[in-house]
Amino acid sequence: MTTPDLPLAGIRVADFTWFGAGPIYTEILANHGAQVIRIESQAHIDGLRVAHPMPEGRYTLNVSGYYNNFNASKLSFLLNMKHPKSLDVALRLIAISDIVAENYTPGTLEKWGLTYEAMLAVKPDVILVREPMQGAGGPHGDFGGFGLVIAPLTGLNHLSGFPHREPVGLGTQYTDYVMNPGHAAIATLAALRYRNRTGKGQLIEVAQVESSVSVVGTAILDYTANGRVGMRAGNRLRHAAPHGVFRCAGDDRWCAIAVFTHDEWRALGGAMGDPDWTREERFATLQGRKANEDELDRLIEGWTRERSAEEAMQTLQAAGVPAGVVQSAQDVLENDPHLKARGYYGYLDHPEAGLTAYDGPGFRLSKTPGRLLSPAPMLGEHTAFVCSEVLKMDDEETAQLVMENVLF
Amino acid sequence: MADPVETPLALDDIRVLELAGEPGWYCGKLLAELGADVIKIEPPGGDPGRRIGPFYHDEIDPEKSLYFFAQNTSKRSITLDIAAADGQALFRRLAASADVVIETFPPGFLQTLGLDYQALTQIRPGIILASITGFGQWGPHSHFKGPDIVAVAMSGIMYLAGFPDDPPNRPYGNQSHYCASIQAATGILTALLHRDLTGEGQQVGVSMQEALSMNQETAIQYWDIRHELRGRMGNERRMPAIGAYQTQDGYLMFFVGVPGFGAPWPVLFQWMAEEGMAEDLDSPEWRDIYGQMDLRLVAELYFGHDPELAAQWRPRMSHIDGVLDRFVRAHTTQPMYEEAQRRGLLVAPCNTPEDVVRNPQLNYRQWFTTVVHPELAATIAYPGPPYRLSDTPWRLRRRPPLIGEHNDEVYCRELGLSQQQLAALSAAGVI
Repeated sequence: MTTPDLPLAGIRVADFTWFGAGPIYTEILANHGAQVIRIESQAHIDGLRVAHPMPEGRYTLNVSGYYNNFNASKLSFLLNMKHPKSLDVALRLIAISDIVAENYTPGTLEKWGLTYEAMLAVKPDVILVREPMQGAGGPHGDFGGFGLVIAPLTGLNHLSGFPHREPVGLGTQYTDYVMNPGHAAIATLAALRYRNRTGKGQLIEVAQVESSVSVVGTAILDYTANGRVGMRAGNRLRHAAPHGVFRCAGDDRWCAIAVFTHDEWRALGGAMGDPDWTREERFATLQGRKANEDELDRLIEGWTRERSAEEAMQTLQAAGVPAGVVQSAQDVLENDPHLKARGYYGYLDHPEAGLTAYDGPGFRLSKTPGRLLSPAPMLGEHTAFVCSEVLKMDDEETAQLVMENVLF
Repeated sequence: MADPVETPLALDDIRVLELAGEPGWYCGKLLAELGADVIKIEPPGGDPGRRIGPFYHDEIDPEKSLYFFAQNTSKRSITLDIAAADGQALFRRLAASADVVIETFPPGFLQTLGLDYQALTQIRPGIILASITGFGQWGPHSHFKGPDIVAVAMSGIMYLAGFPDDPPNRPYGNQSHYCASIQAATGILTALLHRDLTGEGQQVGVSMQEALSMNQETAIQYWDIRHELRGRMGNERRMPAIGAYQTQDGYLMFFVGVPGFGAPWPVLFQWMAEEGMAEDLDSPEWRDIYGQMDLRLVAELYFGHDPELAAQWRPRMSHIDGVLDRFVRAHTTQPMYEEAQRRGLLVAPCNTPEDVVRNPQLNYRQWFTTVVHPELAATIAYPGPPYRLSDTPWRLRRRPPLIGEHNDEVYCRELGLSQQQLAALSAAGVI
């Protein structure tokens, strides 16, 4: 795969990550031209390869939509790190890589002999990126977890949702998808640029809890400056009313509506056909609407219930009122004309999984846009390629390493 | 640890003009704390986002917004009326030495001022213009208003958050702004690497809707591959030990029993037995039952269509869940979290902001960063580094700027305006 037009062409990543936050981070690099070599093993299967969703009745290691969506544009190289002979192969790969990435529990790479010092010995300007859960060292440094465990630690669960319900969070492993991969990519790109300027590599640690607490900053300051322990407050905001989601016609259909200014409030009234209640004194100011918000929401819902969420959104946006359908995955993938026009989701044809949808890049560069270069690799699909074309191993050595279950 | 002031910064050769409202704040902060000189350009009177609370000591004042503080450290601030012709002229002069401009105006607005990308490249070849809006620069919804709740709704992530019998939940804290800013900063750095090699700048387009999309986890794939629609699960606990459990003083999130994810169920059970709280689960019959709770069963119960299997397991699960529920309720949150993790069980506390600030691990690693606010006669602990770079560490370089705090420094000392010119522009409402 050569992609000279892409901004990270020529950059090679020895990618020891697995599950979510690691591979999603390296996919950002891969989609922008880096050669990302996932080090995988039959002896140590990435849990996402056995995770749902898979096509009904065809449960193999190569068809998980969870794994595939986050591993486009990469190569898969089998290397059994539990085998003592693998260390030499790993270091030979690192010697010709720019970046080494991993997201294991601290100490795991060291168990394999893959210390930072060993990497520096073969690649003095290596950029090593580690994404442990809580950071190396300290009383909780070796605690286990992943997104479902990290989000509650950061306060996101406590702060999201309705106050009368349990703090179940966002229904996903939220921090795995943008927060941690994004912060890791930013640190990596900054380090890469610094290396280009100075010739110096470095060690980067993205402790996933630290990276994720960064995005609840206001609540942290409200406690450290004011001593106030914030509580989840549903969908309402102190400085906007109405602000929430409103039931529309159909089953589980909702439209978000948010009014921040007096103009938007007048526009909302107009869009709903100027019913008398919108002219009532008690709703005339933000303060009044906040004081009567339950009643306000009930009256607005009287209007939204009469129409589809799409119609409510179109009517309100045309009048200049912020509004949006609470879209399901089906809406997002199939019905959203905007995402379709922009081609956000790409369909890639995979030898086992067939044609399936992948997320596109989360940002768009006008001259060197990232793109999905190839479907997710099948387990070990590129072992032979990496041996011959990247590591320049002769066939005899490759065969020997296969027989000894090193390339396994 | 070396004195951080002595360490180099990764982006110390980069100047950024942050002509941006709330969605672009965090992007500017990310670049500033890696070393870029980020000049925040606020309308005279200050960024409207400064009027959003909570406020320091609840004193409503644009210089005391904690919401603003959290995302605006390490920047300089100047004021400028970009709608005024004199303001545009000044902006052009500023752009002549800028590497990056971050903006969040409705698409096309900069063009009406003659400050679109093409115009900026005339002033500064190689400039990178990053634009963050609800729906991106083009497409049928690009002119939609897109505050946070609209973006999270349209992205698909709200549909998954909360309880099935409640309205969908908006995530706390304008997550669309954070996600969009993170995507923008990634794009800017990628574009800078390209510029370094070729001299060529470009535009970085970020749609908040798209920036959030990855957070749908597998919802798109469930629909695409299986035509199953993921919805809100609430705290359904279809498997015991997967979900939120109440303690004496809070909640713990449990994720125990899925192979490959921490210690298995028998370890949790053993703990309950040690404390004499396993009730009748301490019998061969029940040991046999929870021994069968494997990945396939989990998948089948979560997503399968076998009503018989579900009917067989529902009462068993509900009984085990009840015993566990009573066990957890007898404990307090933080000690139970540490003991569970000591046993290898994947359990985490649903921390309050206070718990986060007191978290032993974050404090051991000296994560919180104190910032002196002389105007408030206060020192406030701020969130610390999202990442730690060994040679070019993240650095919180100064408290958030006051409105126009650096007007004199930037306009007079750096741009060469005289004090009289600055005063005249000030009087005219341009600065």
